[in-house]
Amino acid sequence: MSSSSSPMQSTGRKLKLKSKDDETFEVEEAVAVKSQIFKYMVEDGVSNGPIPLPNVNGKTLARVLQWCQKHADPTITEDELNKYDAGFIDVDQAVLYDLLMAANYLNIEELLKLACMRVADMIKGKSPDEIRRTFNIKNDFTPEEEEEVRKENAWALGP
Amino acid sequence: MDPPPAPPPPQPPGQCRNWLELPRDVTESILLRLGAIEILTSAQKVCLLWRNICKDPSMWRAVDMRNPGDFWDMPYDLETMCRHAVDRSCGQLVDINVEYFGTDELLNYIADCSSRLRRLQLVSCHSISEEGLSEVAAKLPLLEELNISYCSYWSLTKEPLEVVGRCCPLLKSLKLNSKGHRRPYIECDEEALAIAENMPELRQLQLFGNKLTNDGLLAILDGCPHLESLDLRQCFNVNLTENLGRRCAEQIKHLRFPTDPTDDAEIHDNGSSDEDYPSGFSDIDNFSDDYGYYEFSGDSDYSYYGDIIDYGDFYFD
Repeated sequence: MSSSSSPMQSTGRKLKLKSKDDETFEVEEAVAVKSQIFKYMVEDGVSNGPIPLPNVNGKTLARVLQWCQKHADPTITEDELNKYDAGFIDVDQAVLYDLLMAANYLNIEELLKLACMRVADMIKGKSPDEIRRTFNIKNDFTPEEEEEVRKENAWALGP
Repeated sequence: MDPPPAPPPPQPPGQCRNWLELPRDVTESILLRLGAIEILTSAQKVCLLWRNICKDPSMWRAVDMRNPGDFWDMPYDLETMCRHAVDRSCGQLVDINVEYFGTDELLNYIADCSSRLRRLQLVSCHSISEEGLSEVAAKLPLLEELNISYCSYWSLTKEPLEVVGRCCPLLKSLKLNSKGHRRPYIECDEEALAIAENMPELRQLQLFGNKLTNDGLLAILDGCPHLESLDLRQCFNVNLTENLGRRCAEQIKHLRFPTDPTDDAEIHDNGSSDEDYPSGFSDIDNFSDDYGYYEFSGDSDYSYYGDIIDYGDFYFD
């Protein structure tokens, strides 16, 4: 029987998770199911024993679970949640990257969206060169592709 | 070792991540949030991988041409840019947002290339005519959401709305926003009646600043039996008497009253013109002190289909 979309009551049941660097975490089912991966596991009843997560390190997993905990809290208001999210995602690049990867791997839609928006905000308003420097990306354009881009810029006004 | 070209925020050793190793769909999701202008003028020039992602038609199902509307400072020809964005969609365009620019020719170009368009937003597009609107309506049989806000200083006549209603039987959301005036005192139910008579499938209707009266409102309630959301803010000719108020409360789930606060609205400041404020009328009579227009971002709870990016329901192929 699959669970409906109604909020899950706290059953007291916990999931055990193991990060790639062997840190273990215990988390309530109601919190864990923010991740679609865990949601399916819980619904299919395959949540015995610690679930190995070879793609997520302990530090990142701790952060992610903290986020899930906050977002599973029924007493928190939308304003408080927004404030929390703003602070949560204001992190350095490496942490942001790891959160992005973890949210994608664990299929946590809202966290993924939050992280994507943050990266987009870091890109907005920057020139290509500034973007490359921000994210340490190499300019690997071939002369042919550069020429193609130049030709496309028919919409640029002025010289 | 070569010195770095310019000092970026220094990354501690071991902290560098390779952003090009992000899964492709995650990078797509990030770049999609930039809007068409930033993608075309900046993001796609960063590296080959991003360029290739930005050329993919799937990135162009939704085109958001929002811009600050500073024509004097805008270094780009947005009309040409928009055509280019539409070309990139290779016919897969389902959602487009055009603001502060746009001609009938552009509108026709969009419609000719995108018969599967579901959402069309035209905000402050002063060069688009009623005839242009009528002409494209016939080319967009799958249209579900239409936003024509602040595109002319006066009300539309009923004709384009009739044509839209006839040609777009799936239309579920209409936003027809304009600047609300208390004075001069003009009543006009033409738009309201056109909606009531031609758009029976509407679920959401936003008529910010409309000149409709109670008669027009009643017609809408009768003609649009599935209406769930109705925004009548700054419709100063509507007076929700007991019966009418009760009817609204019974029929409409999300109702905004004429004098409800507008602080969740984005203000489009197009500047004022003397026509709008003939001498002798003070702006105290307006709801706010601004001479701006009010516009509602797609992210408000009144967007029937949610974010411009979330398209789970739109892709039936």
